Amino acid sequence: MRLAFVTVLLVVTVVLAQQPAAQQTGVLRLRVRVKADDAAPLKGLARKRFFLIPGTLEQNRALITSIEQQPLTTRDCYYKQHHASAQLISWLQEGDCESVYCRSIGNEFVTGPKAVPEFASAFAANHTVFGNDLIALQWLTNYLSPDLRDGFYKDRQRTLQTLLNQSGMIQSVMTDQKGSAYFTDLGPGTYVISNVIPTELGQTLVTWNCEVHIKPEDLATEKPYLISNRKDKTVKCVGIEKPKPTCATD
Amino acid sequence: MTRIKLQTALFFLFLICVHPRSSAADYSKFSHATQKHQAACVTCHKFPTKDWTKISSFPDVTDYPSHDACVSCHRPQFFRGARPPICSVCHSKTSPRDEVRYAFRNPAAKLQFAIEFPHNKHQDAIASLRFAHPPQGYNNCTICHGPRTATFKAAPTDHGSCFNCHWKSQEPVAANCNGCHKLASAPYVRAEPVRFSAKFIHDGGGEKKQHVAECTTCHINITKSASLRWLKPDVPITACTECHNKDGLRQDLNKELIAIDKNRSFTCVYCHAANVGSLDPPASHYLIAERPPLKRKDIK
Repeated sequence: MRLAFVTVLLVVTVVLAQQPAAQQTGVLRLRVRVKADDAAPLKGLARKRFFLIPGTLEQNRALITSIEQQPLTTRDCYYKQHHASAQLISWLQEGDCESVYCRSIGNEFVTGPKAVPEFASAFAANHTVFGNDLIALQWLTNYLSPDLRDGFYKDRQRTLQTLLNQSGMIQSVMTDQKGSAYFTDLGPGTYVISNVIPTELGQTLVTWNCEVHIKPEDLATEKPYLISNRKDKTVKCVGIEKPKPTCATD
Repeated sequence: MTRIKLQTALFFLFLICVHPRSSAADYSKFSHATQKHQAACVTCHKFPTKDWTKISSFPDVTDYPSHDACVSCHRPQFFRGARPPICSVCHSKTSPRDEVRYAFRNPAAKLQFAIEFPHNKHQDAIASLRFAHPPQGYNNCTICHGPRTATFKAAPTDHGSCFNCHWKSQEPVAANCNGCHKLASAPYVRAEPVRFSAKFIHDGGGEKKQHVAECTTCHINITKSASLRWLKPDVPITACTECHNKDGLRQDLNKELIAIDKNRSFTCVYCHAANVGSLDPPASHYLIAERPPLKRKDIK
């Protein structure tokens, strides 16, 4: 009887000992501060997506080579190639918008001196369906041509997916207004932080591929990590800048 | 022998008659999970519904399916008794002389569908930002999350903010219900968000309204979230202590941790209501204060 009890106790102890302990994870606070040109002030890079890829730069060499060598169509070139009006290109530039979804489209962009021809046509097409000014304005993007509506976004997504399929990307985050973003629930190890698709900054394109180490002592903390396109003692990784290519249509 | 067989047969017949049949359907409850209810949504739900203009400012599904949708299979249940239970799925009174229906959808009914909403894609596409709050012409979280109370923001309850872009062309389009509405494994009641820092006010932050910031500055996990499942609007303590525990500025966290050192029954009140403020401060709070975590019971 006693032997049976001891055996059961032993089995329970062994089973409990093999239960994995709750793993501690860390947080990486990414800060991206950039200068659009030498005269411009250093400021947070807002609303740009960054990716966290496991492994070292060397282990991700093939991906990084693909990132660096990818042909890139800039936003302005894309819209020119798809015959967007000058007014639409200007409307996108004013808001640093990649698509028509980033700004609300008010009446002033449908009629009057600031009107964008594509918006006026879409408004008219929508109006013939419902005969309602408010719906025609609010649902305007539904009646734009696909190339101008979300073609640029979809092109970028295809490129991203092709590149990221080469990696084991584990998280992607977008910087906030101040250029900060958080990668959370990270285990110890080495990672590459990359924007994968170069960021358009003034007249240049900037690519970041930065190696970062999360050490056991970084767990349960928030590790700050500053990147920039300018060298500084506090900057952990400097992006590679290239001049923007000229458009094929120019 | 024959007599025993007859008695056994009678006994089983008795059991069959008196025992309530477990498979009897309850026609007062409608489930989208029933296999025969899983045809294309448009089989029953017309889009938009006939009289949408009476209820909505935009074309939408604003009413229950017509009788045809039910009668095609449930004719016997429709004409069973004076008050057929099946009518009570949609009608608040089961009477042939009263057509009144519950609001669509019935707010008292459990939810049968979960919403699939990728915040990350929407952040990429729509949420470019110049200013966090009006006046502004840039789309951001406030397109869908307007104010509800000083503490909580609202979540969309209709298709208004979806159809602006997803009416047609942009998938999932309005007619593709399943693009967003996924049948849940079981009916459920939407859980209200839990706020630990009950005293936080989104539009607060003193005269300068310092709390009026971009949402993702504090809600740090939103931009990486591809689904609503397991999504929590969590805010790390560091989002608060950037201002509220800074040398030469304010020491709101440190002061309360010191107060606990002196009196382990002290209730933290600066951010929390008593129910949370009387608990042990989490390790993250001590970490910010650069102190080892403590339990109240260990304080002498």
